Amino acid sequence: MKRRAFLLAAGAAASCARDRRPRLNVFNWSSYIDPATIDRFEQDFGVRVRYGTYESNEEMLAKAITGNSGWDVVFPTHSRLDPMARNGLLAPLDHRRLPSLGNLDRRFQAPAWDRELRWGIPYMWNGTGIAYNRAQVAAPRTWSALWDPKLKGRITMLDDPEDMIGACLLKLGYPFSSTDERELQAAKAEAVRQKALLRAYLNAEVRDQLVAGDVLAAQMWSTTTAQAIHAGANLGFVYPEDGYPLYCDCACVLRESTRYELAHEFLDYLLRPGVAAANARVADTATANGAAQKMLPNDPILYPPEEIYARGVWPPSLPSAAQRYRDRLWTEIKAA
Amino acid sequence: MKKRALGIYAALALAFLHLPLAVLVVFSFNSGRFTVWEGISLRWYSAALNDPQLAEGLLNSVIIAIVASVLATVIGTMAAYGMWKRSARVLEGGMLLSLVTPEIVTGVSLLALFQWVFRFLHLHLGMYTVIIAHVAFSIAYVMIVVSARLRGVDRSLEEAAMDLGANQWCAFFRVTLPGILPAVIAAALLALVVSFDDYVITSLVAGVDSETLPMVIYAMARRGVSPMVNAVSALILVLFGALIVLAERMREQ
Amino acid sequence: MNPRSWFLLPARVWMALFFAAPLAIVCAYSFLTRGDYGGVEYPWTFESYTRLADPLYLAILWRSLWIAGLSTAICVALGFPLALFVSRAGKRKNLYLQLVLLPFWTSFLVRTYAWLFILRDTGLINTVLSALHIIHSPLPLLYNDGAVLLGLVYSFLPFFVLPMYATLERLDPALAEAAADLGAPPWRTLWRVVIPVSKPGIIAGAVLVFIPCLGAYLTPDLLGGGKSVMLGNLVQNQFTTARDWPFGAAASLVLMLAGAILLVLLTTRRETKRLL
Repeated sequence: MKRRAFLLAAGAAASCARDRRPRLNVFNWSSYIDPATIDRFEQDFGVRVRYGTYESNEEMLAKAITGNSGWDVVFPTHSRLDPMARNGLLAPLDHRRLPSLGNLDRRFQAPAWDRELRWGIPYMWNGTGIAYNRAQVAAPRTWSALWDPKLKGRITMLDDPEDMIGACLLKLGYPFSSTDERELQAAKAEAVRQKALLRAYLNAEVRDQLVAGDVLAAQMWSTTTAQAIHAGANLGFVYPEDGYPLYCDCACVLRESTRYELAHEFLDYLLRPGVAAANARVADTATANGAAQKMLPNDPILYPPEEIYARGVWPPSLPSAAQRYRDRLWTEIKAA
Repeated sequence: MKKRALGIYAALALAFLHLPLAVLVVFSFNSGRFTVWEGISLRWYSAALNDPQLAEGLLNSVIIAIVASVLATVIGTMAAYGMWKRSARVLEGGMLLSLVTPEIVTGVSLLALFQWVFRFLHLHLGMYTVIIAHVAFSIAYVMIVVSARLRGVDRSLEEAAMDLGANQWCAFFRVTLPGILPAVIAAALLALVVSFDDYVITSLVAGVDSETLPMVIYAMARRGVSPMVNAVSALILVLFGALIVLAERMREQ
Repeated sequence: MNPRSWFLLPARVWMALFFAAPLAIVCAYSFLTRGDYGGVEYPWTFESYTRLADPLYLAILWRSLWIAGLSTAICVALGFPLALFVSRAGKRKNLYLQLVLLPFWTSFLVRTYAWLFILRDTGLINTVLSALHIIHSPLPLLYNDGAVLLGLVYSFLPFFVLPMYATLERLDPALAEAAADLGAPPWRTLWRVVIPVSKPGIIAGAVLVFIPCLGAYLTPDLLGGGKSVMLGNLVQNQFTTARDWPFGAAASLVLMLAGAILLVLLTTRRETKRLL
């Protein structure tokens, strides 16, 4: 009995000596930051950062939508910014607290999805293209390479409705974010036609099979491919000539956050060239920070040259009815 | 002859169950990053042992699993006992229904409940919400295991004890419970495993500070950084294998 | 309040608060409308349910029932002898039981990824078979129904073995001995004595396998290559990518209804009720 009382008291005393520094809770994609960044931020500003990670926008949204997830800073993809803002989930940013904003690459100073940079600061970006096994396949040029009967059974597409249906639309010459039912039905027909040649719908997991030669061509994100190539794989990557989507993850402050100023200090810290460069190096992704980009090697997969970049589109958020229609198509394609 | 055939079959079946584990362990020693064999190396083990996220995830998982299984075992055993002599239809039906519920539905519904409640109580998601969720889906498992055992228990023992002056509580704790203790422990173990390995529900209701091991592993595996995951799994296997051997030794003594 | 009610109280409270209430919320969701980015909005509507009546979803339901049923049958066929062996293993019973459970201590996802390596074109099986010159081109072992069945059987075999073992363990060995004494060969004893007597255990184990198989989504997704949709995938998709919670709620209520009907049919049979 006595020992128990002592332990309880010791525990209580220990909790009183707990961390009294201000806290910031940051929710980001996994492997998207240099751990040293967090450590240095904690030291320089005398705070404690709680860093959590997620694998998909939906995972983050499910928490953010509750309105009391506990997170202060999140990193949604650009097409989610508008709906999140309209649903009152985001706090408008105060540019006076972000002096390093000028470090952003000029393309991201006034992006199409958020002209005044009111809701999110562009952080990292990537595009979707075709990854292929260099030893066995010649470099593809358009999306139709993924419908090549010679590669039967060795092709994969992304397990993501937006990317997958979008690729079918682009192949037919239609816009990536089309909401026209006729065009979408044609895209669906293409997808169903492809199923006979398709090995599977896979995301980053296909990487190992690409390296081993099981899969010869895959619809894949530029970052995943670049990471595999940097790790020594003999893969190639192509941004198709008929167009491709680009995605930008932006740093935002949740409206529920009670640490508005501290969150801004963190966002500004991320904008420092040295910090952004370190993050981009560790994440092996393209950074939206122009000043940092100059400090990094110019990888054409991560940073496509101007003519290729011009072919890319930034998919906007779709209206609810269009979203539903596409989802229905997705189920039909999968069930076919 | 039949015994031998059965034995061979069992060996094959167990080999089938353990084949992926063998593959896992072998590849945890792979020096390359992809699942293409490149040579032997211990680098993934050192990476796993030095990873703070993994360590924290493991600690959280252990804490949650122990607390949740203790709670679930207590509540479930009491319920099974209460239902022993006279059935409680609604409770029993509810528990069985919870077994039938898909994990995503359990997770989303609890998230919805917490969301609604937190509006009034100004709380956040955290370890406690994970524990609450784990207990909620484990109770049914405990109840089933303990109930099954209770059916084989002779009621007259308790009745005799009560005739001799013991009240219901005393009868339970000193007469019945010791008899069903192995089943209670088995149920606790089941609840422990189920809680430790859960991903879907946990990821939905976990808070800022409560990342569990499955969540960490899942994130790693989705990114394709598999060899470290293999190393972690191999370590877990060794740990639990050792625990099992230890338990067997203790039982034999 | 009598002592029995005290024993039942914690369970009643917990289930009411953390199962019944959330479930009621999900029910309510199924009658509401889809919010733009997850969540639900007014008005109330039956739309989710009428959408379910579409042949597309009925086909998905049928396919799920078929695959779950097949997996269950295989689990029963493979699991019964294993449970029989363990129940007759004498002093080593517990050890073998733990061996059956051991894989469950590692992450489910990780084990499934291991199967990916074993089954794929440059994976373990194909490499070994072609090294032995038994095949000349890789067998397509992955991303088809066969792989999904394998994955499901693998995941849920212990769910059948454990309750089956529990039944067989309590079986009176005198029954089998008597049959043998009367001159019955081992097969006949098995078929006509052991199996009929352990039928409640078989049914209970089968149900414990069938129901999760019906709602499985990770295994069909990973091992089936995402090329087909089962009920579990449909539900999962609605709550994540599609952000259509009302439809997901309706679909999962249908799923739960199928499982509940099965359980009710089970619990009205006295022998199996005793097992559950």
